Amino acid sequence: MAVTLEVSDLNKSFGGIHAVKDCSFGVEDGSITSLIGPNGAGKTTVFNLINHVIRPDSGTVRFEGRDVTGKMPHRLTRLGIGRTFQVTRTLGDMTVLENMVVGSSGTGVRSMFGSRMLDHEVERAMELLEFVGIAEYAYTNAEALSYGQRKLLEFSAVLMSGPQIVLLDEPAGGVNPSLLTRMVARIRELNANGLTFFIVEHNMDLVMDISDSVIVMAHGEVLLHGSPDDVQSDRRVLDAYLGKV
Amino acid sequence: MIEDRADAGGLEPEVVEAVAAPKGPGRSRWGVVAVLLVGLLLLPLSRPFIDSYNYTVLLATNGLMWIALASSWNILGGYSGYISLGHAVFLGVGGYVAAVPLFYYGVSPFLTALAGGLAAVALGLVAGLITLRTRGPAFIISTIALLFMFLLIFENIDYLGGTAGLPLPVVPISRDWLKAPFFYAMLIAAVGSIVLSYQVAHSKFGLGLRAIAEDETKAEVAGVPTRFYKIIAFALSAFWVGVAGAMWGYSLAFVRPTLFFTVAISAQMVLMAIIGGRGTVAGPVIGAVLIVAVNEFSLTQFGSSEINILISGVLLVTVLLFFPLGIVGTLREKRLLPAFLDWD
Repeated sequence: MAVTLEVSDLNKSFGGIHAVKDCSFGVEDGSITSLIGPNGAGKTTVFNLINHVIRPDSGTVRFEGRDVTGKMPHRLTRLGIGRTFQVTRTLGDMTVLENMVVGSSGTGVRSMFGSRMLDHEVERAMELLEFVGIAEYAYTNAEALSYGQRKLLEFSAVLMSGPQIVLLDEPAGGVNPSLLTRMVARIRELNANGLTFFIVEHNMDLVMDISDSVIVMAHGEVLLHGSPDDVQSDRRVLDAYLGKV
Repeated sequence: MIEDRADAGGLEPEVVEAVAAPKGPGRSRWGVVAVLLVGLLLLPLSRPFIDSYNYTVLLATNGLMWIALASSWNILGGYSGYISLGHAVFLGVGGYVAAVPLFYYGVSPFLTALAGGLAAVALGLVAGLITLRTRGPAFIISTIALLFMFLLIFENIDYLGGTAGLPLPVVPISRDWLKAPFFYAMLIAAVGSIVLSYQVAHSKFGLGLRAIAEDETKAEVAGVPTRFYKIIAFALSAFWVGVAGAMWGYSLAFVRPTLFFTVAISAQMVLMAIIGGRGTVAGPVIGAVLIVAVNEFSLTQFGSSEINILISGVLLVTVLLFFPLGIVGTLREKRLLPAFLDWD
């Protein structure tokens, strides 16, 4: 399969801490790829480097064959890289529906000063909210949602821009089992329709169950990239999590 | 707090509202607004009927100017959350752009006021490009720096009259009706800035600005071109301030750097917007009317002292104690806002 997202020799230091070291890997088109590793391994930093929330010290990010390093996050979103956050960042003072459509703000006069919600956007937003099961909250302020519902909101909002790949940062974190089941079912459904997922997750059962391929990071470096089976049977992965015995 | 609650996944009765879109704007509010507007339009013609005609029209003109300034400031400071203490710069630029052609060539500021606004927009774009690289306190300080830079520059250009500024001729019309043109000009500026503010609030652009105010990184990742939006907001918020500046200098019959380029004028815009309700359309209007009224009251009661500053301070503290989101913001949250003030 073709590689849709390719990261080469990515480096990032914060002060004296080398958070991401010569990271290289590829995410295959149409796959569900997971990025795992102990706390502090640099997983979220890699996400932040990919969609340029923080600037890499060196290295390149290629998306569908073109170099997208250094492009502003909103440009990457337009190009088809969607992303959610580990700690949900819904816009609490805005309604659920406004959270859904805010990303479609363009730079042209028409798209800037036209109505804040166009009919076709509302239609699409309601479809997606129904898809994840929170449509009844469309006109509620997002701050009134529970944590798990916010995760679902972020998840559906990221689909609004029609992405090719979605980066999910700990989709299962703090979500109760019934909402999690719903989320996983949606991920599978979208994946079956061709959407690529790149997921940071700590829930190993989920990772091993859902992933086509797993990347393991430790101390800012890629330790291993293989199938869930490969990863589970690899001694180095255990060492990374538990320390060398 | 809802975060603490175990996630039910389903409906939470106290949270749920009807899925149908909330009620549209009531018709009654436009009635009240129309009556107010007609009243204002007729005010300058009331000369034969009121004794204190000049005083009334002057006070109303002043109020309208501050409505324009506070509403304009709100486009950047209210919607996007970027507090500018440099907006007085635009007032000054507008003032000088109109004053120079009048002083040297006799061109009426009523013809050049628009140019004053456009010059302010151009400056807003450039200043935005530079200052909006920062955020938070650094942004506030960079806008103050902009103000002092302009004070220094304008004080040192002889062509502009240096520190003494330029004296301007009065409008060549009958003394009786001298106040009327300025009143109408400021009315246009006030209505124009409210309409602009309303347009922004109801557009995608405004939605993007609100997202920036809440969480800029999230807004950017969601797809809002944050940097572009902030710069455009800065520029748009300068326009009517520039127009008002052109009119203000002319109405005072002089321009001088220390008249315009002061933090006090900027701070007044901030104060009005915050008291009335930052980020709402009607808030800065209410704030401006309230502050102008309170200032006027204290001037007539206590003379030309600085007691009005003390009173403004007390007012700010009191209002924020009981209306943490400003008068309009808090009333709306409590669903007590009269319909004719709910323009959001």
